[in-house]
Amino acid sequence: MNAISIQNVSKDFSLGASGRGYRTVKDVLSSGWRRKGKPFRALDGVSFDVAAGEAIGVVGRNGAGKSTLLKLLARILRPTSGRIELRGRVGSLLEVGAGFHPDLSGRENIFLNAAILGMSHREILQKLDAIVAFAGFEKHLDEPVKHYSSGMFMRLAFAVAAHIDPEILLLDEVLAVGDADFQKRCLDRLEQVGRNGQTVVFVSHNMQAMVRLCSRAVLLEDGKVAAIGSAQEIATRYLQSGAGNRAERCYSDGLHAPGDGIARLRAVRIRSRAGEVLETVDIGCEFAIEVEFDVLAGGAALFPSIVLNNEWGPVLWTTDVATEWHAKPRPEGRYRCTAWVPADLIGPGAMSVTAAMYSFQPYTLHFRESDAVSFQAAETRSGSRGGFLGHIDGGVRPRLEWTVEHRDAV
Amino acid sequence: MTVITPSGAPLASRIAEYRHCATLLVFLTLRDIRLRYRHTLLGILWAVAQPVLPMLIFAAVFSRTLRFETGAPYFLFVFAGLAPWMFLANAVNSASTAFISNYNLLNKVYFPRAILPAAAVFAFVIDWLVAGAVLAGLCAWNGFAPQMEWLALPAIVPAGVFVAMVAGLGAASLSALFRDMKTVVPFLVQVWMYATPVFYPLDVLPAAIRRVIGFNPMTGVVEAFRACLFGRPLDWTLIAQSAVATVVLTIAVAMLFNALEADLAEQV
Repeated sequence: MNAISIQNVSKDFSLGASGRGYRTVKDVLSSGWRRKGKPFRALDGVSFDVAAGEAIGVVGRNGAGKSTLLKLLARILRPTSGRIELRGRVGSLLEVGAGFHPDLSGRENIFLNAAILGMSHREILQKLDAIVAFAGFEKHLDEPVKHYSSGMFMRLAFAVAAHIDPEILLLDEVLAVGDADFQKRCLDRLEQVGRNGQTVVFVSHNMQAMVRLCSRAVLLEDGKVAAIGSAQEIATRYLQSGAGNRAERCYSDGLHAPGDGIARLRAVRIRSRAGEVLETVDIGCEFAIEVEFDVLAGGAALFPSIVLNNEWGPVLWTTDVATEWHAKPRPEGRYRCTAWVPADLIGPGAMSVTAAMYSFQPYTLHFRESDAVSFQAAETRSGSRGGFLGHIDGGVRPRLEWTVEHRDAV
Repeated sequence: MTVITPSGAPLASRIAEYRHCATLLVFLTLRDIRLRYRHTLLGILWAVAQPVLPMLIFAAVFSRTLRFETGAPYFLFVFAGLAPWMFLANAVNSASTAFISNYNLLNKVYFPRAILPAAAVFAFVIDWLVAGAVLAGLCAWNGFAPQMEWLALPAIVPAGVFVAMVAGLGAASLSALFRDMKTVVPFLVQVWMYATPVFYPLDVLPAAIRRVIGFNPMTGVVEAFRACLFGRPLDWTLIAQSAVATVVLTIAVAMLFNALEADLAEQV
């Protein structure tokens, strides 16, 4: 029997022309009730079933619609079209610690958060000891959680969340926090949940955890189901394909290429030393970001600029100021600039490249192409992490030269 | 089986969900009470201080200028009006931001949404009770001995709480739809006070206004609260008028919230 049946579900978001999510009375008076601007389709005709007791993974790039899908299942958002059937009590854990208040004590937060997650007072009292034991500290329970370290905070928050007992459990990136030991305990706990006959929908970028917890998985690309299969199969496909990345973009049509009468963008690509276009980059290897452009009218000193973003923001900015072309008027012709990113510099994640061209005196922007190409930075080798298996924060993860001094006695 | 479609769940099943929310309501209310009075100098004494300060102002102004004929010392008359009124004003103002300030919760967890403004309202009931206890002491001190009519007072509190919940839900919904309502709501509440017999007796009003002032949900609550306190007969016409107004307001707010609820996470 199916615990979850998702039938041709789509979800549109109407973004206001102003770019804000909200409106004011003035907006309505000046431009009417209906929002202008094109709706953005986050999910497009998604259909799949989940059997009762099954753990299913949902993977995909950022923006593929994973979180939107979970929010529809959790009834936080409603679908634009389609139908979802759920058999059983649904518990969702889309953010560990949602509803925690820094000024309340640990104990007060346990009760509040457990109630928010749908537990009754009697259930909370029954599970209180187990929750406290899972968090692993009892001493500071009556202090405000704002005095907790982030590790303690996450332990407590996850301890509460790990004790909700729904028939259908929705999890979104809940393992992206905490230290390695704690992550292991969380994974063990989640595995146990799966064995108790609960249905689990698990969204994660952590393929290792996904494969361990789930038997089956769904790959989402641009809001559509790109593949359904065994968890191992989908994880491999996700990692190898770069999951819909576009690591090379050529602007062959001279008129529509970004640019003006002076400079025009021709191509952007991510490549290896051997010249191969890379949709997945191993962060333990060097790679190049390459920009090709035409100079249509000679004489300007041009500054090509490359910005590398991950999902949180820019992680790397680079330009060719160190070359012989720095501040020098460029004659007409085609240029190819290649920036070499060394091995062990960037961290893993979904990356996108913005290519831009400036000149100064007067300041002129000739083109700026955001998200020109994108790729997945993955760690298939050591990835500068040693034996650590958990999540490591940070957009960059450089291999630095460390010195350690040790003295026997103080 | 839960079915999720664009048209949303049927109204009856959405209302039924609130039966399972007692625990959540209690702990959200406790949260609001704790956060309000923790780290404050006077703590729960603010519940007394809040109506006392406007009482002193009104008493200072009107005992020298207009001199209303109220049948009780004017400061007692005003305090008896301010106890329910300050509850309503604080509750509605606080509830109006319940959706906006709990955006993170709305966007991460599902629970029946009206719980949030309801908890904001319940968190102020304690203020009304504390102010009421002080008021009872002041009455006894000034020769209005405890009497049978006081037994009716606990029945008036739920009526006031209901009006505050409906108005609070309406204010919260409008604030979610239009961000600038956040500044409009306190102003509307202020206007509402002048339309309610808080600091003036009804018989000073011109006859035309006297006929319609009952159609204000809070007129019935304030007048009934005062009548019971001073042991005077209840004006049932006035109470019936307020009840009608409350029903109309409830229907309007229910329609507004019903249209908004499913998209709340996107609106705020």
